[in-house]
Amino acid sequence: MSEYSITIGTLIAIQAIVACGLNVIVGYAGQISLGHAAFFGIGAYASALLTTAGGLSFWSALPIVLGITGLIGLFLGLPSLRLREDFLAITTIGINFIVVSIFQYVPFFGGALGIGGIPRIVLFGERLRGVSFFFLTGGFLSITLLICWLFTRSWSGLACFALREDETAASSMGVSPVRFKLTAFILGTAIAGLGGALYAHSMRFISATDFGFPMSVMILSMIVLGGMGTLWGPVLGALVLGILPELFRPLTDYRMFLYAALLLLMIRFQPGGLLGENSLARRTFSRLKGGKS
Amino acid sequence: MGDPLLSLREISMHFGGLKALDKVSFDLHEGEILGLIGPNGAGKTTCFNTVSGVYRPTSGEIRFRGKRTDGLPPHRMAALGIGRTFQIVRPFPNLSVLENVIVALGLRCYGRLLSSCRPWKGRRAREDAMKILAQVGLESQARQKAGLLPLGNLRRLELARALALKPQLLLLDESFSGLRHEEIAQQEELVRKTRESGISILLIEHNMRVAMGLCDRLVVLDHGVKLAEGTPETIRNDPQVIRAYLGKGGNADAS
Amino acid sequence: MQLFVEQMLNGLAIGAIYALITLGLALVYGILRILHVAHAAIYTVGAYVGLAIFSATHSMLLSAAGAMVFCAGLGFLIERLVYFPLLKYPPYVPLIGSIACLLAIEEICRLAAGPYILSFPAQLPFPSFKVGGIVISSTLTAVYCISAGVLLLLWFITTRTELGLAMRATSQDMAIASAMGINSHRIISLTFMIGSAVAAIAGILVGIYYNQVYPSMGAVPAYKTLALIVVGGLGSVPGAVLASILLGVGETLLIGYAGIPLPRDALAFIAMIAVLLWRPQGLLGGRG
Repeated sequence: MSEYSITIGTLIAIQAIVACGLNVIVGYAGQISLGHAAFFGIGAYASALLTTAGGLSFWSALPIVLGITGLIGLFLGLPSLRLREDFLAITTIGINFIVVSIFQYVPFFGGALGIGGIPRIVLFGERLRGVSFFFLTGGFLSITLLICWLFTRSWSGLACFALREDETAASSMGVSPVRFKLTAFILGTAIAGLGGALYAHSMRFISATDFGFPMSVMILSMIVLGGMGTLWGPVLGALVLGILPELFRPLTDYRMFLYAALLLLMIRFQPGGLLGENSLARRTFSRLKGGKS
Repeated sequence: MGDPLLSLREISMHFGGLKALDKVSFDLHEGEILGLIGPNGAGKTTCFNTVSGVYRPTSGEIRFRGKRTDGLPPHRMAALGIGRTFQIVRPFPNLSVLENVIVALGLRCYGRLLSSCRPWKGRRAREDAMKILAQVGLESQARQKAGLLPLGNLRRLELARALALKPQLLLLDESFSGLRHEEIAQQEELVRKTRESGISILLIEHNMRVAMGLCDRLVVLDHGVKLAEGTPETIRNDPQVIRAYLGKGGNADAS
Repeated sequence: MQLFVEQMLNGLAIGAIYALITLGLALVYGILRILHVAHAAIYTVGAYVGLAIFSATHSMLLSAAGAMVFCAGLGFLIERLVYFPLLKYPPYVPLIGSIACLLAIEEICRLAAGPYILSFPAQLPFPSFKVGGIVISSTLTAVYCISAGVLLLLWFITTRTELGLAMRATSQDMAIASAMGINSHRIISLTFMIGSAVAAIAGILVGIYYNQVYPSMGAVPAYKTLALIVVGGLGSVPGAVLASILLGVGETLLIGYAGIPLPRDALAFIAMIAVLLWRPQGLLGGRG
């Protein structure tokens, strides 16, 4: 594999992690968030600052990074307790714009220049790069998927599903909306923070524009295309949306247009996602299964 | 009779200038089926919502098992032992019928961090849920998505979910509306069995025949005010009640 | 003082243009409950089509009419082909569809007209004034007059005509409106066409006001107008107009005059969150 494709693979794995985090909030708990890239960015900036100015290693910084993003996620999840769907959607867009402007205009965060010189991750005395970094990211992705799987099987997960389906009914079954919406926000944003930390140490240079609203849309598109609320949907979505632009790369000028047009066609004709119910994949699969039995 | 299980004292609920409830008081005793009846807009559902914690009453106090509960949120009321159904059914449409019931079985797990991390997909939860589904006669539909059930089955699913909370008091909000004749008979049978198992019931009912036949006592509301209280026999002959109903275009036709 | 007044006048013009863009968004939200981000793409297309016709004919009237017709058609197509089939899905599905439309249309503009900033050297036939040393250019006058005219016309249509009544009925409850004999699908299409035609005017005005037309000119308005319809009260057209004008003036005064180094794009959202904390239903929104 070329170095380039390893870089792309690493990036896809990182985006899959971030998408898994958003899936917890939107897919499991049914709370729309259009500002997920803000938490991706908060994770990246936290890890970058802790390892450069703070002088910590990636590993000792990581728990702090997860704590910070989870805490800010908790704080920014508060509007979800008060606002209904579309208001919440636009508020989260606003949060994304505001977080990006803070990164851009506050000198502490490096301003428009961003933060550079982020150290490589050291594991077992080895500085990770290329393939070994890719495997580290893959490992973290597996852990993330495991956590998500365990979450869907826990009572907390079931409580979130119930809230997603009908908040009034869920609360009359003893599910506290406040508690479990915030649980979903904390878990989802902490996972985004993990993705951000990996991103910072893989790029070794970050700037605010990496985490703008277009990135949030991309992450949301990943889980919608992959299949909202499914375990593997975010991974599939990250793969499709990560590989497509690379396939179009030779088409230079038409690349972005084809990407947008394909996104439009996919959302128009598979709005339930590639792995969702009534999707082509599901129907084919069940037909095959039906044929065998 | 000892202390009442549920008691409402001078409950008022105002929405802006509208007095949906005006100083309503009544008691519900253990093992009782108490019916809340009255013409449309009398404040029955508002009264329910104050008991189940959806609304905080403007004034007055509600006690459940002697403890003040007015103003507590719905999930706390569920934990205290009050289960409810909804007039307009509210299933979790994308979960299976079985999972719908399992959500209610988790009542004791949602309050604590540690137990809410434990898995729910265990055999015990499934077996408990199946037992409750068998009680209401839905076991053959357990694997179906709840959103696909017809109304009659949804009403039974709501009952199953409320029973899964192992409540001491069950609030039934027009659990008979929209059902066919034979379904009504089945549902009545279910409610009676539920009471025999030791659960007290407060119900809102529009269908007079059902209310009169099922309830031990009735409370009549009109325009947010308690008009009368007593056995079906006394209510049936209460001139005030008759006036309230007939004056409204004769909702009492079913009796 | 003179600077202040000039900034006020500029802010008012920017606010009026925001209002023209936001208006279409509020109309569409009111009737379909869709966050129509692609509206900003229609506005970009309006500017390009207007510029193309103007360059060919040097007639401002033809240019405006052509852009309005073209954009109305584009809005109609987006509604029929993208939104309507996606109505039954959760709101983020049409939203992503809308964002994809925005990107695709932006790219088409880039491919068709190149990635450059084009100038729009049109003179509008409006008088300029000079009052006490303060100059109100003909462009400013044009922006005021045209936006006031459009807003009045729309106010008239929505409150005083049968079409407006049908639009309001459809936005209240589509099923009931249909049951009462209103062809709600046609009303939805008409709403889109009206909103898009107004966006075309806004595009042309922005092109002339800044003398700039470029492919990504819709990117910032696309999201800022979302904040504006929230501040105004989702779906409330007067609220959206009021919020737009307040923001235009506020932005210009805070950034241009008071020199507060706030990022312009975030300001709308900061205002939005402040308003939401105070009035969760927006400035002029109803409850529920």
